[in-house]
Amino acid sequence: MAEKVLTVCPYCGSGCKLNLLVENGSIIGAEPANGVTNEGELCLKGYYGWDFLNDTKLLTPRLKKPLLREHRGADFKEVSWNEAINFAATRLMEIKRKYGADSIMLTGSSRGPGNEANYVMQKFARAVVGTNNVDCCARVCHAPSVAGLQATLGNGAMSNSIGEIEDTKCILVFGYNAAESHPIVARRIVKAKEKGAKIIVCDPRFIETARIADLYLPIKNGSNMAIVNAFANVLIEEELYDKDYVARYTEGFEEYKAVVAKYPPEYVEKIAGVPAAQIRQAMRIYAAAPTATILWGMGVTQWGQGVNVVKSLSGLALLTGNLGHPNCGVDPVRGQNNVQGACDIGVLPNVFPGYQKVTDPAARAKFAKAWGVPELPAHVGHCLTEVPHLVEEGKLKAYYIFGEDPAQSEPDLAAFREAMRNLDLVIVQDIFMNKTAMFADVIFPATSWGEHEGVYTSADRGFQRFNKAIEPKGDVKPDWEIISLMAAAMGYPMNYKNTEEIWNEVRELCPIFYGATYEKMEGLGYVQWPCPTEDHPGTTYLYTDNKFDTPSGKGILIATDWIPPHEPTDKEYPLVLCTVREVGHYSARTMTGNCRALQTLADEPGYVQINSADARRYGIEDQKLLWISSRRGKVVVRALVTDRANEGAVYMTYQWWIGACNELTGGHYDPASKTPEYKYTAVKLERIADQTEAESSLQKDYSELRARHAAAVG
Amino acid sequence: MVIADPGRCIGCRTCELACALAHSAPDALATLSPASFIPRLKVVKTAKVSTPVQCRQCDDAPCAAVCPTGTLVKGDHSVEVIPSQCIGCKSCMIACSFGVIEVLPCELMVSDHHPSGRTHVEAVKCDLCESRGAGPACVEVCPTKAIYVVDSAVLATAALKRREHSAAMLVIGGSDGYMSHADA
Repeated sequence: MAEKVLTVCPYCGSGCKLNLLVENGSIIGAEPANGVTNEGELCLKGYYGWDFLNDTKLLTPRLKKPLLREHRGADFKEVSWNEAINFAATRLMEIKRKYGADSIMLTGSSRGPGNEANYVMQKFARAVVGTNNVDCCARVCHAPSVAGLQATLGNGAMSNSIGEIEDTKCILVFGYNAAESHPIVARRIVKAKEKGAKIIVCDPRFIETARIADLYLPIKNGSNMAIVNAFANVLIEEELYDKDYVARYTEGFEEYKAVVAKYPPEYVEKIAGVPAAQIRQAMRIYAAAPTATILWGMGVTQWGQGVNVVKSLSGLALLTGNLGHPNCGVDPVRGQNNVQGACDIGVLPNVFPGYQKVTDPAARAKFAKAWGVPELPAHVGHCLTEVPHLVEEGKLKAYYIFGEDPAQSEPDLAAFREAMRNLDLVIVQDIFMNKTAMFADVIFPATSWGEHEGVYTSADRGFQRFNKAIEPKGDVKPDWEIISLMAAAMGYPMNYKNTEEIWNEVRELCPIFYGATYEKMEGLGYVQWPCPTEDHPGTTYLYTDNKFDTPSGKGILIATDWIPPHEPTDKEYPLVLCTVREVGHYSARTMTGNCRALQTLADEPGYVQINSADARRYGIEDQKLLWISSRRGKVVVRALVTDRANEGAVYMTYQWWIGACNELTGGHYDPASKTPEYKYTAVKLERIADQTEAESSLQKDYSELRARHAAAVG
Repeated sequence: MVIADPGRCIGCRTCELACALAHSAPDALATLSPASFIPRLKVVKTAKVSTPVQCRQCDDAPCAAVCPTGTLVKGDHSVEVIPSQCIGCKSCMIACSFGVIEVLPCELMVSDHHPSGRTHVEAVKCDLCESRGAGPACVEVCPTKAIYVVDSAVLATAALKRREHSAAMLVIGGSDGYMSHADA
């Protein structure tokens, strides 16, 4: 009889509880548990996404021993933990002495390690290395949501709960494909529809939710700011907004009104490609609903203007009073299982754990005292998307990458690889040999989800405990232990006994997390922050009594003018590439690509989705291989001809090694959040005449790539 | 039969995996590959619709009618396959209006879930997971509950509800003369 180990799914931010079935020390299956967000349901990743723990080597092998090499280009050799840690610590101290602490960049991990490991990492960065240069992959996903919402409402997270989505009366889905990103959230949207909610979808692609929408606005790629301004224009001009709410609970209305006045729907229809009547109708539906919720994803954030669009989306909720009570609000649905947690715990260059600013002397003094150091760095650190640029300028010398794969996930990968080659020291801490680890000087092998325990935060601020199911194989250590060893080797002993001890330190230092004890999170326990005291049940929705977490306590209305995308299409590169997600694979794919069921459904080189009119125009046939190129790179990919894609744009998912769309994407960023404009790259397609040859060289390249990763581990 | 509601389907293909694994050896996940992945329902995504499609277990099954060897027979709940009879002639594939029967090389089973190690060509279709105690695997795993079992009781209840709905739409006093027999 298999033993059941209750844990949290390691994939998207839905926070699904599941039981791992363990027999003779191995996992043999997974079944859903009755978690708060998933209510006994799982998607394919939850059911079939655990066998990477068996080191299937389908894509790339697990790391099982510390690895070190004399110089780049040399082979890695297996070494003892002592040797690996001493090497890394000595080199890091040398670089700090020579170039200063800010020449060192570190990452947290938004994935399997958990909040405790991230806490130890940011403590290591700030108290031991002495820099705020610590960041996580929120930078390339929802950082604009955090920045935009903090500016307008004071809090960067989902304002309500995943469960509330099904009881709202109107859902405005903006640049968010729940079916691919969060099936368990998509389930709530389906339920809301069945309970009578009106669904409005704004997306260039006819996504799954568009099929059940009452109103679908097929907006042009790159028109977000214009359309949201037109929405606000309609709310004000047609007097659909809640005047009393705006007067009592917001500020900035007059300036806001002046900006959006320039965007009547009749003007915006030319920019957005949507009839003015539909723009008006969308806001009439939204404003008429007793409760309305806005859901958004990367379609809003991965732009040069993402932060501004987030501010304006929160403006729509403020104008209509859709905040501060149940079943309504603003919801940036976080992508990775613990990207909310990585932000909560301060692996961001501007905040300590619990969103306490590094620029606040009182916060610095509190953390310095708790951590036993005379002072902490006072200036905001660098973002991870700035790394290539900083290396080029000679400002960055060392990079400690923990549980992230930027050589797959960053834009303009050729530029990123150049930066990696020019760094003096690259430390990688991971569970798999990945594309980033291939650039490392030293590699620390860590335990995986399933092999350690801790706390994750799901997308709606819900803390949950995840548990260890099996013993790790190989000479691997939990992430927090590895970072503690590094700290000790650099003269700062950390002597944590377990994750609970770390978590209790977090609670003591973060007033908004204080009440979330391990005991309350036992079993199916779910504690949503803010949870200030031990007898507090947690907070399902934010801004009770319409009190916002801004200096004045009011919601701030901020509007901005629309700016066109950075890289326009032209004769040579006539199509827009927009990077998207697919449901069966997760993040940079080292986990799901090593799961048999998931890799059976989808494997290299991945698809480019293309409208049938464009396919005819460029001579592209469905399922055939083709070349796609931009000003920065060229990759082979398979065509998926579908009229769900709009004319003039093509779509690729970012987890493929061969069909790596980030070889094509560019380095244009939102100036505030430093988030790349992944959603708009000018590209061209070229058909390949000899498909037989193309298929065989694809297989050859894929085999060689896998073989190189396998050989690196030895 | 098992059928899906396209209004609920999100196209995630969890059902395809559950189906393929429910019709394989218990440890099949450890060896699953594109070659051994044989779901009996397929998620179809057209420009406007996403939904799994699978056998309707037709009462007057054309696949059974055309089968020259008696491989396909009408059972109590489903159209059943007797694998040992199949010669791989594909008549059933041609006859099926829904495109939900395939003739594929499969591993011969000694008994349920015990592969023999030898392959054989056979007709593959939805069998309502008859040998699985918990009922159809696709119904169990679907995260949006888009897939459900339709039996005669479900059909009867649906028909009754629709008749009630039809009755409610009839207008009292609606016979304004044009509809009356007297004028006809």
